[in-house]
Amino acid sequence: MGREVGIVGVGQTNHARRRTDVSQAGLVREAVDRALADARLSMDDIDTVVIASGPVLFAAVNQPEKWVVDAIGAQGKSVVRLTSGGGAGFAGALAGYYQVAGGYSDRTLVVAYDKLSEGQLQYSISTLYDPFWGREFAVGIMGFSAAYWRARMDVLGHTEEAAAMVAAKNRNNALANPYAHQKKAVTVEDVLKSKPLCWPIKLLDVPPISDGAAAIVLANDKVAHHSTSRPAWIRGIAYCCEADNAAERSLLLSEPLAIASRQVYRAAGITNPRRQFDVVEVQEPYSCFELNYYESLGLCPPGQAAELVASGATQLDGDIPVNPSGGCMGANPIGAVGVIRLIEAATQIMGRNETHQIKDAKMALVQSGGGWANLRGCAVLSA
Amino acid sequence: MLYAPDTSPIDLPTFHSVISLPYTLTPGRCAGTFLAEMPNRRIVGSRFADGSVVCPAQDFSSLDGEEPEALVQAPETGTLTGFTRVGTDVIGLIRLDGCANEFPHRILADLPAIAVGMRVAARWSDDDKGTSILAIEGFVPAPDAPQGEVKPLVGPAEPLGVIPYAMALNYEHAYGPYYGRMFDEIREGGRVMGVRGSGGDDALLPPREIDDITHKRTGTWKACADTGTIRACSIINMEVYGQTRPVPYVYAEIVLDGASTRMIHMIDIDDLESAKKSIKPGTRVRAIWTKGERKGAVSDIERFEVIDA
Amino acid sequence: MGYSQVAVLASAQTQLRPAWNDAQHIDLISAVVGNVFKGTGLTLDDVDFVIDSGSDVLDGRSISNCGFLGALGAHHKEEARVEEDGLWAALYGVNKIRSGASSVGLIVAYSKPSESDVDLYWSSMVDPFYQRPVGFGQKAALGIQAQRYLAAHGITDRALADVVARRWAAAAANDKVAMGKAPDADAVLGSGEAALPLTNLMISRPVDGAVAVLLCDGDIARRSGRPPVYVTGMGTSLETHSFAARSVNRLDSVEKAAAMACGKAGWASGAAADVVEISGSSVIGELLTLEGLGLAAAGRGIDAAMDDKVNRSGGALPADPIMATGLVRLAEAAKQLAAPARAGLAGPAKALVHGTGGVAMQTNCAFTLEV
Repeated sequence: MGREVGIVGVGQTNHARRRTDVSQAGLVREAVDRALADARLSMDDIDTVVIASGPVLFAAVNQPEKWVVDAIGAQGKSVVRLTSGGGAGFAGALAGYYQVAGGYSDRTLVVAYDKLSEGQLQYSISTLYDPFWGREFAVGIMGFSAAYWRARMDVLGHTEEAAAMVAAKNRNNALANPYAHQKKAVTVEDVLKSKPLCWPIKLLDVPPISDGAAAIVLANDKVAHHSTSRPAWIRGIAYCCEADNAAERSLLLSEPLAIASRQVYRAAGITNPRRQFDVVEVQEPYSCFELNYYESLGLCPPGQAAELVASGATQLDGDIPVNPSGGCMGANPIGAVGVIRLIEAATQIMGRNETHQIKDAKMALVQSGGGWANLRGCAVLSA
Repeated sequence: MLYAPDTSPIDLPTFHSVISLPYTLTPGRCAGTFLAEMPNRRIVGSRFADGSVVCPAQDFSSLDGEEPEALVQAPETGTLTGFTRVGTDVIGLIRLDGCANEFPHRILADLPAIAVGMRVAARWSDDDKGTSILAIEGFVPAPDAPQGEVKPLVGPAEPLGVIPYAMALNYEHAYGPYYGRMFDEIREGGRVMGVRGSGGDDALLPPREIDDITHKRTGTWKACADTGTIRACSIINMEVYGQTRPVPYVYAEIVLDGASTRMIHMIDIDDLESAKKSIKPGTRVRAIWTKGERKGAVSDIERFEVIDA
Repeated sequence: MGYSQVAVLASAQTQLRPAWNDAQHIDLISAVVGNVFKGTGLTLDDVDFVIDSGSDVLDGRSISNCGFLGALGAHHKEEARVEEDGLWAALYGVNKIRSGASSVGLIVAYSKPSESDVDLYWSSMVDPFYQRPVGFGQKAALGIQAQRYLAAHGITDRALADVVARRWAAAAANDKVAMGKAPDADAVLGSGEAALPLTNLMISRPVDGAVAVLLCDGDIARRSGRPPVYVTGMGTSLETHSFAARSVNRLDSVEKAAAMACGKAGWASGAAADVVEISGSSVIGELLTLEGLGLAAAGRGIDAAMDDKVNRSGGALPADPIMATGLVRLAEAAKQLAAPARAGLAGPAKALVHGTGGVAMQTNCAFTLEV
């Protein structure tokens, strides 16, 4: 059937709270230059480009790929933009994956970005809500996300401390990440004592607001060797959804993520994720979500995420490190995050992760998502 | 429904919605310098490695994405290469003398006086002396203007890091038959009505023709109570742009009695700590309707409050 | 390397109306999603994935796909939003099926421009520093494009009006477009200035509507009992943002998209097609597209425009459901191939489908279809 697809080059910007030296388009250029150099290619070698970014309202440019194209020198090429809220970058990678797997291209550049300093983040996200029905009460998706966490606390007996452990783990991992900009060591106690924003979400459960871009070069098995002797092959990738206002929607488990992981694990031959993965990178827009992912991805049985994080298993030295890069807590240019997570996982497989290389990492799991937590996907990378 | 001929010339009301946001946009080095030089009345271009000059200055070549070598000062004269009229505005493409590219701007002349190939010159605005391209009000015919020259940009201003920007989008959303009935019932009867899902007695709120989950037709209309149960909630304690209520308050997803899906609303609280204990999933709540005339909107319910056990 | 064949199995459309003022987005979307399966033997359960096209700016909500997932029939399926004309969503879907990962995909595109200010949709697309403040947008760009084309090729307003009137007459014969009396050439000329030299009817008319297309692999297509319409080539190309830096009197991106698609299909040029469905943002855009597709020499698009095989559906001039227009063209072309006699064709045929996006058609997409 289709072609094998690997990640053969990666690049991300040094993310920042606000970049006033580059435009949105210039920011994208930086990541593209780095990814192309890493893949030992120029734009001439790229067949097709996928651009991904968050909602138009984040930065006031409608269909921004039509502006960005000039900055990356991709004029004339097959260029298309994917958008999917928080999971935009991942959705872009998925579209790029199928361009290569389906034989439409040999090499596809996927670049994702958001320059969140330019707009009003929470207000923009609030416009996700139906203008007739609930928008006036929305507080981005923070109010909603906190509500779902609260439901887990009530039903599962999870405490605020479990999420604080996630926040502290990721924030401390980010200290060594050369691309992160939020770098401050924190304790679980610090997180618990930080200001409630949308309780139970507190200040240190929330990632920073960032400007950043990230790019990957995808190549098929025919041309991948031109760029690297060690591609990170995509063994499975999927991105599923659920209707947001479903009567039966689970507040405890992410069903779209469980469905996506089932598809991906089957494609990749994963039967016991906890044992088979060497490293995991997840997109945690708030610390509490990482706990949900543990369960939805099958890293622990349903309801036992608090025990998993408390056991230390997901720490750097645990048996299943999650977010050695620091995840979103180090930098959170939302639309780019799906690609950043793929980069962090791919470099683990390539043996050259710049933050915390997990020794002999051979099999990596990546998670990403967006919307009202109702768009969720994952991918498996291996050597 | 959607295949019936459009025979009903009923003037249907629409739901007005505005999305209005302030922005701080970063133009980048070249455009940032161009805009910063507008109050100095200098027109900045960028010169590329092959010697070509592009104006207004660009960080990246429109042809191939190359980055320029230097910023230059472009002349204020040039040639009109194309034009049109939209409404009362004449928009033209101008190639400044010594430049390789063209760019759009306003042409300040009556149509009969305008022809492709004519010489034009920038007219600086008397009103706008700020850092906008509209500091150049437009271009006027200048038949005798001598050929201008590109010069080095001496002592360029610091590029602007951010410029304030605003975007306002107005909408007139159609209610459609389902939202139309629901909001009419809220306005006329103070009653929240949904439609039964495709496979049960509980109502979907908001109502719709096709069930989201089964993609089958939904059932008949049903009135829900204005009491319900909290499905999920959180305590909002931060101020964000566009917020309409003082913090803290509770964001609540409420399932009204008789419904199966959530209504998003809020609950007033005295303080954060007591609300953590008194308001949680499973807590019973009732709608508090606004006093006076109802508008036919969710905001006709002012808030929900906890039903004391 | 073996790839799956991909076929256009079925399509469904709402009527295209100036304003669907008695229906919401979800009503339009769920109607076409519900109807696309009729007669195919398939149901929504058979669909592996949904890819949709719509615009947050037109819809008035961010990540608007997210609120429409139920109507899209996407619940618990893989879903993606391509924020470009639906023909690009179809391109994604074809790749996905070609890879062998899926066998049935649902492509949906919709819009309700009647609910918003279409000029803002366009002006928010151009750069905010140099172009927006001076009032440059879609109309200005289309006007300058037309002014240059007419000056270069000596074509009269009357000849353009004839093309427009022909499109409206075709749309009137196709009951998918709501309209009063189809305008004749005089009415086109008298429709008021949009952007000199274009009159209002010389620019595509925004309309509300939705379209769904069911794509499937070759096996399922052959079992369906309908003559399979295969996608044999696809291509797209995005030009520079700077309208002024693009080639004058040419749409390079149409040429590139057509070269990609025809190359894959093994066609010498777009002229091999006997069904041509194109999306012109203006009547000049149509002529430039026909030239770019290889159906006419430079400056002679007007000849091809009067050919019977072009835009039997009426094309985008009488009905442009922004974000869905190219996918409507795909649906219309596939129908003409699947039922050639009804379309007045002699036998098995080839179709060329075109979609566009961006100010003055900055991006273009071409599909080749064959039975």
